[in-house]
Amino acid sequence: MARYLLTRAWQSALTLLLSTIVVFFGVRALPGDPALALAGEDRSPEALEAIRRHYGLDQPLPLQFAQYVERMAQGDFGVSIRTGTPVSSMLTTALPVTVELSVLAILIATALGVGAGVLAAVRRGRPAEWLANALALIGLSVPHFWLGLLAILYLSVATGLFPASGFVPFLEDPVDNLHHIVLPAVILGTGLAAIIMRQTRSAMLDSLSSDYVRTAKAKGLRPRAVITQHALRNSLIVVVTVVGLQLGGLISGAVVTEQIFGLPGFGKMTIDAVFQRDYPVIQAVVLLTATAYIVINFLVDLLYSVIDPRIRVTGDPA
Amino acid sequence: MTNLSFSETSQSRRRPLRAAVAAVAVFCTVVACSPVSDSGGTQSGDNQSAGQDSFGTPADAAAVKQGGKLVIALSAEPDALDPTLSRSLYSRYVFQAMCQKLYDVNEQAQVVPQLATALPTTSGDGRTVTITLRQGVRFGDGTAFDSAAVKATLQRHLTNARSARRSELGPIDGVDTPDAHTVVLRLKQPFAPLLGALADRAGMIMSAKALQSLGDDFASAPVCVGPFKFAKRVPQNSIDVVRDPNYYEADKVHLDGISWRILSDASIRAANLRSGDAQVADSISTQDVASLRQDAAVSVLQSQSLGYQGLTINTGNVDGVGTAPKPINRPLAQNAKVRQAFEHAIDRKALVDAVFNGLHAVACSPISPASPFSSPEAQTCPAHDPEKAKQLLTEAGVQTPYPVTMLASNTPDTLRLAQALQSMVKDGGFDLKINPVEYSSLLDEQDRGNFELLQLGWSGRIDPDANITNFVGTGASQNVSGYSNPQLDNLLTQARQANDIEARKKLYGQAVTLLQQDDALIYLYRQRNLTAVSKQIQGLQVFPDGVIRAAFAGFTK
Repeated sequence: MARYLLTRAWQSALTLLLSTIVVFFGVRALPGDPALALAGEDRSPEALEAIRRHYGLDQPLPLQFAQYVERMAQGDFGVSIRTGTPVSSMLTTALPVTVELSVLAILIATALGVGAGVLAAVRRGRPAEWLANALALIGLSVPHFWLGLLAILYLSVATGLFPASGFVPFLEDPVDNLHHIVLPAVILGTGLAAIIMRQTRSAMLDSLSSDYVRTAKAKGLRPRAVITQHALRNSLIVVVTVVGLQLGGLISGAVVTEQIFGLPGFGKMTIDAVFQRDYPVIQAVVLLTATAYIVINFLVDLLYSVIDPRIRVTGDPA
Repeated sequence: MTNLSFSETSQSRRRPLRAAVAAVAVFCTVVACSPVSDSGGTQSGDNQSAGQDSFGTPADAAAVKQGGKLVIALSAEPDALDPTLSRSLYSRYVFQAMCQKLYDVNEQAQVVPQLATALPTTSGDGRTVTITLRQGVRFGDGTAFDSAAVKATLQRHLTNARSARRSELGPIDGVDTPDAHTVVLRLKQPFAPLLGALADRAGMIMSAKALQSLGDDFASAPVCVGPFKFAKRVPQNSIDVVRDPNYYEADKVHLDGISWRILSDASIRAANLRSGDAQVADSISTQDVASLRQDAAVSVLQSQSLGYQGLTINTGNVDGVGTAPKPINRPLAQNAKVRQAFEHAIDRKALVDAVFNGLHAVACSPISPASPFSSPEAQTCPAHDPEKAKQLLTEAGVQTPYPVTMLASNTPDTLRLAQALQSMVKDGGFDLKINPVEYSSLLDEQDRGNFELLQLGWSGRIDPDANITNFVGTGASQNVSGYSNPQLDNLLTQARQANDIEARKKLYGQAVTLLQQDDALIYLYRQRNLTAVSKQIQGLQVFPDGVIRAAFAGFTK
């Protein structure tokens, strides 16, 4: 186990370093200049010069990179070129929003997806399966932004059930917080729920036709116990893998969802930063996303052994 | 490089546009399209038609409730809330509620006193400007507003390394404070645009105490004189201000607070307005105005801006903006006749009608008809005449169709404009190719001079100098065309130094004539700032400077 962790840590560090290099030079290779974007309409050569000097953009690129890595090593993400605020403080306000949105979306998607998947497998060939399949197809094919707009139109504008936009921090008012974030989380979760539903359904169908399920039925277990304790447990491996793999899709979905519902999260911050060529913010966002990917993949690997004790994590080459 | 022609998009869109162009062309032949006149005039009700201004009316104190929080959906995020550093138009909306200025602007785009008691007095040689300040005024932190605070603010504007105000303030040599309520500005040369600058961010006075304690971080907790004071900012999301009990006319303030929420998508802003989550939405799309007008709960304010949208032709920008112009070996760059032909090929009225439902106003010069500096010369307009365009091209000795590539931003509105232009100039003998790029790249290409023709605009300032000189003056900071005409430079310098409004009017009229001869910048239309307001709200106004004035609004009883 210790050796496995070491290998993973080393691989992760290498991945992070590579992504740092790629994003640092990649974002600077884009046409466009953050000083121009910041200067807005009132741009004179002196103003541009002053902005570049203030943010160290007038230094040679390798030097900028060295300074960036040095600051990163001290946990300093730098200062946003656009807003002048430290990137770390922007992250501390934006990150909880996106984490809350994503976690809630995953929970909702898993609950809906697993429930519908099991139902579709157990009630195979009956209306319940058709309905679940139809809903999954819609969930997969309808883009988030369209669903979000419809939700705002019917659930906010027409009925006033949910606020159309905005965010209240959880610590300030938990109830109001949930009221603001449930709708975006459901919208964000729809695509994932559909994928989970389909995977659960096919894994369940496999399990239900396997020998151990027949044995369980033969020894007189109640159907509910057969489904939940035997068939479902073995199907969950697939669900966990899918959730892990779909995380990337979830993050890009969060970008759109946050934009539509005006949530001050990570996604909105990323879009604004890219359009304004706000290098420090783009770098921090990419690095953090890469870290999140690595950590989640690692957690997924660990979860395997929890769900299926036959799988053991090991550092030995296969 | 993409050639976005109508045949590539859809046939069904081509016909109505062609028909509209044709119909307007016939109309124009009958009534002659120049000079530009402000078709509708101004009025304050909300039952106006497309081409009219509606600025909103002040609140009737008896009809509004005390209290309540106004939510304004903003299309873009304001930048630093620091009058010295701010460069974005949107920060002016927030400043309007919390940072009053020495001077303000009224509905007629005239400068009026705000924190000063009267318009400044200027000495005979134009080099000494005396400003008298209101008495008994206090900043949001309770400290006194006096000449020392004005001096500290102006000095910060002039000396801060990242100041966006230095060039606006012009040749200020020194600031004197003979007493607590008098400020005297000493200038190296006369500088008429100073008054317009003091009616914008350069005239916003900051608390000396806050400046001392916050320094360059003033934007983290800005303190000025205003009906409201800063409360909270969540980056990318919202800015909140609350009523300031220290304000000198606190009894005129009805709201408890104002919150600006950043919602970049126009349809989301409209949805928030309809759901009641917001009471005001800025920058409404011209496409949404008709449906919002049908909503009995919403009114739409429209005020013609002092800026313009136009086409800049690269006539000499080879090594980047600000460098000495160099010859470019293209007929469009070298020969004014080719540029004039391009202008004659454009039917501005049809363009504005087809692309913006007639909500924006035709523009042929940098001077808005709403400006006190406008004159008949400044409003003349080269007529739409495709035959003349072809004739000029023949005289210039170029083959038709003459190919031109236009760099434009990739937003839907700009692309529709570009496509309409493309089909329009074909009749005048031009083959227009469109090269759409994302905004940051567009600015970059523009400043480097990597373009033949480009579409961009300017939001506009009160003083005409700020709308002209920087863009067409030789070597000026935003002269991206690389255009140079010493005769024009001379006129603009005279206009800058003349303190008599009639003299300046005449000089700007002459400048417009030269601009239209050389045609390095072809002015197309003037945007109307479209603001949707819930009818629950009274007293919200938008003047020609484009700033949403929400400070004295209130909820209807």
